[in-house]
Amino acid sequence: MPEPATKRHHVVVRVTHWVNAIALTIMVGSGLRIFNAYPAFARRGETFCCYPFEHQPIPAALTFGGWLAGARNWHFAAMWILTLNGLVYLAFIYLHGEWRDLVPRRGQLRDSVEMVKFYLTVRKDHPRQGKHNALQRFVYFAMPVIGIFAVLTGLAIWKPVQLSALTALFGGYVWARYWHFWTMLLLVALGFGHVFMVFAVDPYSIRAMITGTYRERWSPEARNARPFVHLLPRHERTAVDPTPPSQP
Amino acid sequence: MTARRYPGHPAERLGLDRRRFLAAATSAVGAALVAACDSTGPRSAGKLLRLAEHGNETVERALFNHRAMNVPSANARIAGEAFPSYFISKQVPVWNEAIRGVWRLEVGGLVQRPLSLTLADLSSLPRVGYKLDHFCVEGWTAVATRTGVSLREIAKVAGVQPGARYVDFESFDDGYHESWDIESAMHPQTLVVYAQDGRYLNPAWGAPARVYSPVKLGYKNTKYLTRIMFLPEKTGGYWSDQGYEWYGGV
Repeated sequence: MPEPATKRHHVVVRVTHWVNAIALTIMVGSGLRIFNAYPAFARRGETFCCYPFEHQPIPAALTFGGWLAGARNWHFAAMWILTLNGLVYLAFIYLHGEWRDLVPRRGQLRDSVEMVKFYLTVRKDHPRQGKHNALQRFVYFAMPVIGIFAVLTGLAIWKPVQLSALTALFGGYVWARYWHFWTMLLLVALGFGHVFMVFAVDPYSIRAMITGTYRERWSPEARNARPFVHLLPRHERTAVDPTPPSQP
Repeated sequence: MTARRYPGHPAERLGLDRRRFLAAATSAVGAALVAACDSTGPRSAGKLLRLAEHGNETVERALFNHRAMNVPSANARIAGEAFPSYFISKQVPVWNEAIRGVWRLEVGGLVQRPLSLTLADLSSLPRVGYKLDHFCVEGWTAVATRTGVSLREIAKVAGVQPGARYVDFESFDDGYHESWDIESAMHPQTLVVYAQDGRYLNPAWGAPARVYSPVKLGYKNTKYLTRIMFLPEKTGGYWSDQGYEWYGGV
């Protein structure tokens, strides 16, 4: 009995998701290449308290743009795609109501602890999943918030004279550059965590993010899925040899 | 589960179902991203990047405000000896009076009174000094006090004509020059600097005079200055001709 597919992601969410994935990758790669032109935070003649790797460049293989001007040109072009795409996404989820799936709600911290317990096998059954579990809600809420900080700190170091009030808000150019670096680190960390969990726990969500449809029997809750465990739908795990019985 | 096929669907004619098409598309994008590491990106993107640079210049010019001033953080230390030196010649460019005669700063182009100023002439013009951030395109900053004459003052003395929309700053550093929009050049903190941290410039810092403004990135601020030309058109620049943004605003 085929279970009907449910609509999971609106086409606007799907398109902005993939545009964001590409734009963010370009932004991080070119940003790291720009950083490598002077991989330190201290003003000339000063020291900086809070970065232990001053003057150590990022491995070139992780960077994009080839040289400083190339990376800057990519960074200052892709920033428009990232920002406008982000605004379309935020406006859409605000108008269409998807923001309700993301904003933190009461008991979410407790539910997150339950998710962690489940992943650590302290708890046997998967907590209630819904569209997103409690951990996912935190991450999917945090990503746009950090993204907004990435854009604001980016503006602050792009225009520290014309937008000096904004730069001052982040503690001046040196600190704004440092916070811009941190927003990148956080986005990369959450992004890698997201991609890891997609492949290790819920590969069916890739399909959902492309076609928009999802089936409840694929959900991590229905499969009781931990990373790399129970990746197949339950009925397929319990299926028997389907070859027809031999004639008597 | 079998993929549903619609007769006559374009994907059907291509022999691709949706799933295979999406798999192929995602792997193509993935492969492109891996291949793109440490590269300058596809050449065909060059046009789009230039379009974006042009758009950014429009935005930056619209954002430009004469009253936006640079004030370094109160706790920022003067870089002093740690202030980098930079030039494109093989050795530090030094103005040799025995060969080239007395150094003079020429001011020409669309002006009513072309000027030829010695260092003494410059020093006799109204002197201004600011403690300013220096914003390098590489991402570092350094604080220095800059003393000199505001370019506004020089423009006033020379009588700049209304047709002058751009300014080119030329040097004796192996042809180094950069051109600016007139609005940035007339910002009150745009100076022809002859002293840094209270002393006349040394050759490593651009002696005898250089242009300096916190509204432009370091590479736009020509050192070893010889000539200031007020012009009707953009004339590029040493780094902006090689791929760095021409506007280079801060």
